[in-house]
Amino acid sequence: MELSQVRYFIALCRTLNFTRAAEQCNVTQPAFTRAIQRLEEELGGALLFRERNLTQLTELGREMRPHLEAMLDSADAAAALASARRKNTQLSLKIGLGPGIGAASIADAVREVASMLPEVSVHFNEAGPPALIDAMLTDTLDCALLPDDCDMPERLNRWPLYTEAAVLVVPPEHRLAVMNAVTARDVLEENILVGERCGGFAHALVAITGFSLRLQRCNGAAAQMLDLVAAGLGVALLSERLRVGAPLAVRRFSEPELKRRIMLTAVAGRPLNPAASSFVKLCRAQAF
Amino acid sequence: MQKLNREGFLSGILGTGDVFPDFVLPSAEGRLVSLAARLASGPVVLSFFRGEWCPFCRLMLAALTRALPEIEAAGGQLLALTPETGGLPLSMKRYHGATFEVLSDVDFGVGLAAGVVFKIPKLYRERLVASGNNFPQRHGNAAWCLPVPATFIIRPDGVIGWRFVDVDFAHRAEPEDIIAALRTI
Repeated sequence: MELSQVRYFIALCRTLNFTRAAEQCNVTQPAFTRAIQRLEEELGGALLFRERNLTQLTELGREMRPHLEAMLDSADAAAALASARRKNTQLSLKIGLGPGIGAASIADAVREVASMLPEVSVHFNEAGPPALIDAMLTDTLDCALLPDDCDMPERLNRWPLYTEAAVLVVPPEHRLAVMNAVTARDVLEENILVGERCGGFAHALVAITGFSLRLQRCNGAAAQMLDLVAAGLGVALLSERLRVGAPLAVRRFSEPELKRRIMLTAVAGRPLNPAASSFVKLCRAQAF
Repeated sequence: MQKLNREGFLSGILGTGDVFPDFVLPSAEGRLVSLAARLASGPVVLSFFRGEWCPFCRLMLAALTRALPEIEAAGGQLLALTPETGGLPLSMKRYHGATFEVLSDVDFGVGLAAGVVFKIPKLYRERLVASGNNFPQRHGNAAWCLPVPATFIIRPDGVIGWRFVDVDFAHRAEPEDIIAALRTI
């Protein structure tokens, strides 16, 4: 298939009017119609019902539209990034991070975007999934890393990034700091700090084991929770991918294993600026 | 394939004398690679691959890995593009011990701009599914498309100096033809 055919088809999807779509694409209507026909031949069926006053997508047209839209956006983004690189355009990259999801895993991809586009400004927004999804839908956020068990609307594209396990963070002199791995029984007597931004591992532990654990409410960022762990208020169950600095000790949590899958999400059918689009492509290309 | 030929598919593919559109794509190692930046240091041999699951692609990658010193000696830089994602480009590269760039053409953008992307016909798709290929997962995109395994040589001015394209995915550019073409463009 040809880029122009796909471009014409997407314009037609948006206008549902051959004359207007051809005008938008700066092409004569016979050439426009021929291109759509050739695309239909390749895709193996009609993409549109053509009636005198009504143009509508067929089932095949509706099925192909989001895929062709993604391909067209991808082609335009690859070219737009190349052009932004030459012109040194100012762009922003706005990434949402779900609860307890650190930026360490994606930091290399961000650095790579910034080295291609030195003028880029990077924004992180850490919040609960509903707030991040809302921000993406209202176009104040380009993409977000979310746990796969949260409610996502149909309009959200999602790609698996990685699966992460929980670790137990304890103060250096703590009795559990000498162990290689920690189990649920080991933390029965511990104060476990839990907050909106810790990733929900402690609640998952309660749900899986049925144990009644001592949960200490502590809302705030991971950094503040770690300060309280260092002060001896309790221990914390956090993602293994968060960077925890000395002197705190990090121990593998082995029984039960607490895991969650993290997805990269972005609104389907919404073209991203070259910085955001190359970030998403970098993330999708790799295994983390 | 006959269907693709009959419908004049090849006529939509960029050819000698066309400008290959500039692009930036992620590499297997997670770097961004710019065509223009590569062209600044010489001609680029750009080859589209269907993926690691395709035995003909594996054969061609192996042949290109062997031919790379000669390609480089003739002044060429090799870029291999595949629509595969999720770390598959890196495993493909490691499998062959390849030292050239393998780029992930996420969502077929560059392939579409070059005209090499086609929708997999129903019968062939059924065969691919039966042999366990999950393209929506491999591509992160449920379009069920693939690129024709075409090879382009792009001159430093961005113009295509040579191309090889055949809708029969078993027919590939021979490394010696690429090397000979590099010497003449």
